[in-house]
This record gives sequence, structure tokens and C-alpha cells, in this order.
Amino acid sequence: MDVNDPRLARFEVVREGARRDDIEIVHYEPQVAAGSKAERRVVRTVTAFFLVAGLSATAFLVVYIWWPWRYRLVGGIEEYYTPLLGLTLGIALLTLGFGVLVWGKRLLPKEVSIQDRHEGPVPADDRHITGQTMMYMADELGVKRRPLLGVSLLAGLLPVGAVVAAPLVGGLIKDPHDDRELFRTGFAPADDDGAVTRIRLVREDRRPVRPLELLPGAQVTVFPGIPHGVSNQYADSVTLLIRLRAEDALAARENNRRAGKQDWMWGDFIAYSKICTHAGCPASLYEQQTNRLLCPCHQSQFLITDNARPVFGPASRPLPQLPIEVDDEGFFVASSDYRQPIGPDFWERP
Amino acid sequence: MAADRGSRSRRRTPAVAGARRRLGAVVRLLTALMLAGGVYATFAPAARAQEEPRFSGAAAQGEALFNVGCITCHGRSAGGVEGRGPSLVGVGAASVEFQVGTGRMPLARQEAQALRKPPQYSDEEIRQLAAYVQEIGGGPVVPDGVEQQLDDADLARGGELFRINCSQCHAFGGGGGALSSGKFAPSLYPASDRTIYAAMLSGPQNMPVFGDSQLTPEQKADIIAYIQQVVQDGRDPGGFNLGRYGPSTEGLAIFLVGIVALVFASLWIAGKS
Repeated sequence: MDVNDPRLARFEVVREGARRDDIEIVHYEPQVAAGSKAERRVVRTVTAFFLVAGLSATAFLVVYIWWPWRYRLVGGIEEYYTPLLGLTLGIALLTLGFGVLVWGKRLLPKEVSIQDRHEGPVPADDRHITGQTMMYMADELGVKRRPLLGVSLLAGLLPVGAVVAAPLVGGLIKDPHDDRELFRTGFAPADDDGAVTRIRLVREDRRPVRPLELLPGAQVTVFPGIPHGVSNQYADSVTLLIRLRAEDALAARENNRRAGKQDWMWGDFIAYSKICTHAGCPASLYEQQTNRLLCPCHQSQFLITDNARPVFGPASRPLPQLPIEVDDEGFFVASSDYRQPIGPDFWERP
Repeated sequence: MAADRGSRSRRRTPAVAGARRRLGAVVRLLTALMLAGGVYATFAPAARAQEEPRFSGAAAQGEALFNVGCITCHGRSAGGVEGRGPSLVGVGAASVEFQVGTGRMPLARQEAQALRKPPQYSDEEIRQLAAYVQEIGGGPVVPDGVEQQLDDADLARGGELFRINCSQCHAFGGGGGALSSGKFAPSLYPASDRTIYAAMLSGPQNMPVFGDSQLTPEQKADIIAYIQQVVQDGRDPGGFNLGRYGPSTEGLAIFLVGIVALVFASLWIAGKS
């Protein structure tokens, strides 16, 4: 069959093309007659869908550009900004999809095509040819005879692969030994040429804490009183300052003394790291009657009056204690940094 | 003088003189008794006043209520009973307002934690009980006019304070959470402004105390305003809040409902074509 024959209809050429790819169009049937009432109805439906999609997308753009969106406490039309964006975009995409579906299902002709598939494995000849081709390529490259080439190719390409991976992986790697980062917190006394300044315990609004501001059974979350101390830069320094009741404080002091932590408390006040030694969650659920600190993530419990010893749950080490005292101006300061690393275990932890 | 008395007694008969002497002894005894009684009467009432203090009107009525409903566990003059109930000396009116006002006291039974119940006492009776507890030992009091303070409250600051002081136990959504050994931090949804204020002041049960020098009354008002306007009345833009537990319940709901719906939808599509 000569496909260049000008007398052939376009469909004939298409069918011949398919046939040459071993595809036989066995059934072809238009769904609607050209110019019929049914065709006009379907066309109207598809048109309507596309128009709605267009209108909706335009509405999306209008809302996106002109709708007031800044949050106000007392709700106005600002509240509808995000829902409207979602609604208009959703309608646009949905109607577009419906339009395409209706077009495909109702207007396009019904067609059944069959392509023959060979049965069983590929013929032995073909398999032999393919195998020989592969070996031929390997031989022509000559890696076997010239091994230096292969080695140098590897040596050259591997670093190139590493270059691709570097920007992806590199950002995840941080040297924990840098400046003994894991062993220091923001409470390390500032050493300015021998003039050692103890770091104050400050609240989230950077106000330092006085002893009398806490009643027995009170707790306050404190941060190191240094620049950026109340920020993620010192996220490991978050500390709980607790004022125990007098009799509990006596017990805590005695247990401190037994653990070799003489004078780490100040009066009835005791300070522990807020970061759980199990998985690093904030263990700050303070039960003032049972003197326990709870971690909400895995239910570890620490006994405040006994060096924050873990009494329940998966945590195995006590919460690190911050030695505290009061400076000349009557504010709490850390007498030294934490003596143990903060938070969960890590490889190099002694 | 003796001679003089002797001459006079000699003038009278010895019987009359003996009667007079006996009479004199009786009078002296009576005088001494009355003196002793008078001294006792002068000092004794003061000693009794220390044992049983007299209270102002509301506190006296509160004492009567206390002696009927609370004395079993909290003991005489609220001194506490070992193993049953703590002393209430120094807990203050704020504590009474919280514990009795939310129905936690009187306790239904001894258990891990007092539960919120419909209050057993009227507002008036709670005020009287609070007055009584306040007069026996002092302690924190919820100031009047908490509602008025809320009008000028700073919600953003209240939210910050809520997240750093309250959310660890009461959860970000205010739904509460578990503590040790069956205890739990209660949900904040039913709490009124005065209840929250009283709880912060008095530190009921295992809640830490937030005195006025730690969180100023203005900061307390900020927190209460935040709880009431954002946590309690906060609308849930997504519709169903699933208890506001956050990603756990929402993830589960998406998985169970959403994935199942998608599976059936794909089955339906496959069946149609």
C-alpha cells in the first residue's frame, strides 16, 4: 500500500501506519453523528465546563490579588481569603477535568485496536544477537585489555558523583566536636580576660528572676541571660527553676550532698535542665505534690528531690542539675555551667 | 491592843465571842473564794477565746458549714487529719473557691485525683466557707473584678505565657493530659475566668503555684483571656477538631477515613472502565 497515494483518506493512512506497527484497528464507530442534536448537546456541556473553569480560575486570580487577607482578631471578610482561594482553584481544576472527560467519553469515536504479542520467550537468534552485541561493545571499549582506563574512569567519576551528593548531604552534617558544643550550654560563665561573669537566669522576656518572686511549689522556665539566650541558638540551655516546699528542699539538699553536689541548690530553689535525657523532649510537667518532673513524650518521670533520678519510663540518666546561687544584686545566676552534657545520649558521651 | 481586845471580850459573854469569831472566819473564807473566782473570771475567758475564735458573720456561717461537711477529713479548725485530708491553714480563699466551686471538694472518695463535679454548695455557701478558711490562716484570694481586667488583656502575650507555663500539662489545645499514677491535668474548656485565676494563685493538687510576683495580675488576665477567647471559644477552621489532639488523631483519621474512601473510589473507577 502506498501511503503517498493522494486518493487515500486520512483514516486509511492512519490505519496503515498502525498496521505497520502490528496494530489492527478492528472497530471504528463515531459516537455522535456530525451536526446532530446529540453532538450539539455534548459540545454545549463541554463548553460550559471549560467556561466555568476559566471563570473560576479568573476568580482565583482576582481573589489572590485584591481580596483583603491580613489577619484581624475580630473576623471580617479576611477570614474567607484562604477558603476562597481553595474553592476557586478547586472548581477550576475540577470542571477542567470534567470537561476533558466528557469530551473524551462522549465525543471521540469508539475504537477497538488489537496489537499482536509474540508468545513465549524471545527467539534464540535474537537472544544470541543481543548477547553478542553487548560483548562486542565491551571488547571495543577494551577495558579488559586496558584496565588503567577503567580504573581511571572510576577514579574520575566517583568524585563527580560525590559532587552531586555533596550539596544534598553536606547540609545535614555538623561537627559535634566543634568547640565542645555538646558539652557546653549558654550558662557557661563568660570569661573576659580573667574577669569571670556568672550568667543570670532570665525569663522568656529576658527579666532576671529574684528568689522572692516564686512561692513554694512554683516553677519558672529560665534561659541564659546572654545575647540570643532566649532563642533557638541556645535551645539546649532551657532550664526549670523550681522552688520546693521547705521540707522537700531539705530532702533534696541532703540527696544533693550525698551525690557530691554540695551547695548546688540555693535556699529552697533547685534548677534542672528542661530537656529529657531520653529523647530530648521538654520534661517540664512539674507535679508539685509528688515532686516529680514528667516528660510528655514517653512518660519518663524524674524525682526532683533525689537529683532528678528517673523513677519511671525509658529515661535512664537523671536530668542534669544546674548549680545556682544569687548574685550581689539579688538575682539568680548559674554558679557554673552544667557539669554534664544536656539531653539524650550521644556516641562520644563519657 | 491585846489587852484592849481582852478587856472588850471580857465585857461580852464567851459564847457570843466564839460565834463572832466563827462568823469572821466564814466571811474571810467567802472573801477569799470570791477573790479567787473573780481573778479566774477575769483571765479565763481570754484563754477560752483563743481556743474557739469567734468569726465575722460570713466566716461564722462558713465554720458551721465546715463543721458539717468538711471536718471529717480536714479536722477540727481545718488542722488536717493524717491520711485523710490536709490542713487548710494558709491555703486561702482562692483554694476554696477553686476546689469547692468546681465541685472537686467535697471528695466523693479517696483516689488519685479529685474530679470535677457539679458543685455541692451554693455560691453564697462557697463564699462563707472561703471566708472561714481565709480567717483561720490567710492565704491567696482571687481579687474582685477579674472580668473587667480581661477587656484590656493582650491575647498575643497571653498565648506566649500559656505556651511556656501551661501548655506542657494542659496541652496546646487546652484539652489536658496525663500525669503520673492516674493523675491528670484537666481540660480547660469548662473553666471560668475566676476558676483559672484561683487555680493559678493556689496551685491545686499537683499544679504548680503561680503567685502574683511570678505572673502579675495583668499577665494572669492575659492568660485567661487567651484561654477563653482562643482555646475555649476558638473556632476550628477545619470543622471537626477531633478533640484537638493534633497530628496523631488527624493522621489516624486521614488514614482510616481518607485512604479507605480512596480505595473504594479507585475500585469504583476500575469497575466502571
